[in-house]
Amino acid sequence: MIQMTEEHLYDLLKKMYLNSMEAIFFINEDGNVIAMNPAAENILDVDVIRRMKSGVDESFCQTCKGYTDEKDLISCSKCYLDYPQGEFSSFQVYLKTRGEGIVPYAASYHTIDESRGIRVLMLLDLTKQQKTQEMLQRMNMLKYVIKAQEDERKRISRELHDSVAQELLSLLVDLRVFKYMNVGEDVLGKLKQTEASLTRLLDDIRHLSVELRPASLDDLGLEAAFRSHFKWIEKNYGILVRFSAELAAARYGSEIETVVYRVCQEAVLNALKYSGMDEVHVRLCEEQGQLLLTVRDDGVGFDLNAGEAKGTGLGLYGMRERAELVGGQFMLLSAPGGGTTVQLRIPISSFEGEANES
Amino acid sequence: MNNQPSFHYQEEIDRLRDRFRFDFVSLALVQPAEDRFVLTWQYASGNLNERYKRIVLHSGKGIAGIVFKTGKPMLIQNVAADLSSKDLFNYPIIVAERLKSLGALPLWEEKRVVGVLLAGFRTEYRLDEASFELFQRGLGTEFGAFRVREGVRP
Repeated sequence: MIQMTEEHLYDLLKKMYLNSMEAIFFINEDGNVIAMNPAAENILDVDVIRRMKSGVDESFCQTCKGYTDEKDLISCSKCYLDYPQGEFSSFQVYLKTRGEGIVPYAASYHTIDESRGIRVLMLLDLTKQQKTQEMLQRMNMLKYVIKAQEDERKRISRELHDSVAQELLSLLVDLRVFKYMNVGEDVLGKLKQTEASLTRLLDDIRHLSVELRPASLDDLGLEAAFRSHFKWIEKNYGILVRFSAELAAARYGSEIETVVYRVCQEAVLNALKYSGMDEVHVRLCEEQGQLLLTVRDDGVGFDLNAGEAKGTGLGLYGMRERAELVGGQFMLLSAPGGGTTVQLRIPISSFEGEANES
Repeated sequence: MNNQPSFHYQEEIDRLRDRFRFDFVSLALVQPAEDRFVLTWQYASGNLNERYKRIVLHSGKGIAGIVFKTGKPMLIQNVAADLSSKDLFNYPIIVAERLKSLGALPLWEEKRVVGVLLAGFRTEYRLDEASFELFQRGLGTEFGAFRVREGVRP
């Protein structure tokens, strides 16, 4: 370290005062601003500075909108200007700034001259950090929402499958017993109709259960769940899904399996809604430690830059979000007349531990 | 039963298509117990492809499903105007056969709907209330082994 002379120190401090990104205010014991550095002047409203400099109103209050305490995001109770002995070494303050409205700053406030009551307030812009934090929070929130939705679907699906459908089945068995009892021809005819209705109802409930969340996804894994889903698609919409699976492992982490299943479901539904084709190709394989899902149709395709979605546009957004949740990559390829391909890549190595657990 | 040999449904719907100049006529029937009583399109006339054969209908869904559940005739004069394009994929038969104007009738047996007769055009507004009524009247009270109207004894 170089030998610090008095002059040298003054010089450095002055440079810091003039060039620092941090806004520095010197405030006297009445809460009036007695000096501020250029960075501070950049923040404040022009006429606030004018008023301060001309001595009309030197109070810092006209700029400060409050600070964050335990109870409120923006509060003025126990203002740091009035309670110098309070703990204000690091806090968040909201200032009314030039052209940007009310912006949060990280602040520190402490006394530097005990005898004259001079204190220094130093501010650092927090908006960038806050945005990062907000994004992080939103991602976490989304994760929770998707998980909650999946859990709830699983619960209702199980309930339908294990309880409602089972009851109905035993009812149906009861009903069939009538056939072997001594009943008239007309009763038998009516019974047959009821049996048909009940059978259809049972099928409907089973479909509903599978639609919510296929039990086979949890019990047997992706391939089995896909096969039954595609069979259902074929019956419901008359669309053929050509499915090929080349998987080394039968099971992956349940988070991954859910994402792959939902993304594929959405992509196939999009294809049958918009492609105009009656065939969709789905391929599931492993490549360089990644799970790769490809959903391809040779239909009409669309302009990726058109901006105008044919549907709600939420489907694509949802697929991308879901992919991000497991660190996956979502890719969409399409051109008018050139068909559409959706590709999902999910790294599987990092999730292996979780897969073994389940 | 449903598929009595005395009725040749393929010929029947071919004749219907010819007689009323429809582009497309098809017949959905409830299947026997071995097939869990599902409703499928069994016969088609004027079809563009074989996609109808894959479709299994669910009560309350699709054209046949709705007619099956409500027991009421259904008329769509113009598909583009009466059905939202976002919803169209729920009517696979319309998409597969590119129908633009169509009507569907329930077929009855013992006060139960056991089938659906669908007839349509690939041009807008070819089937309207008057011509749909005319078609129903022209059909009479019976179609094959089924009654066209509920409770009407032949």
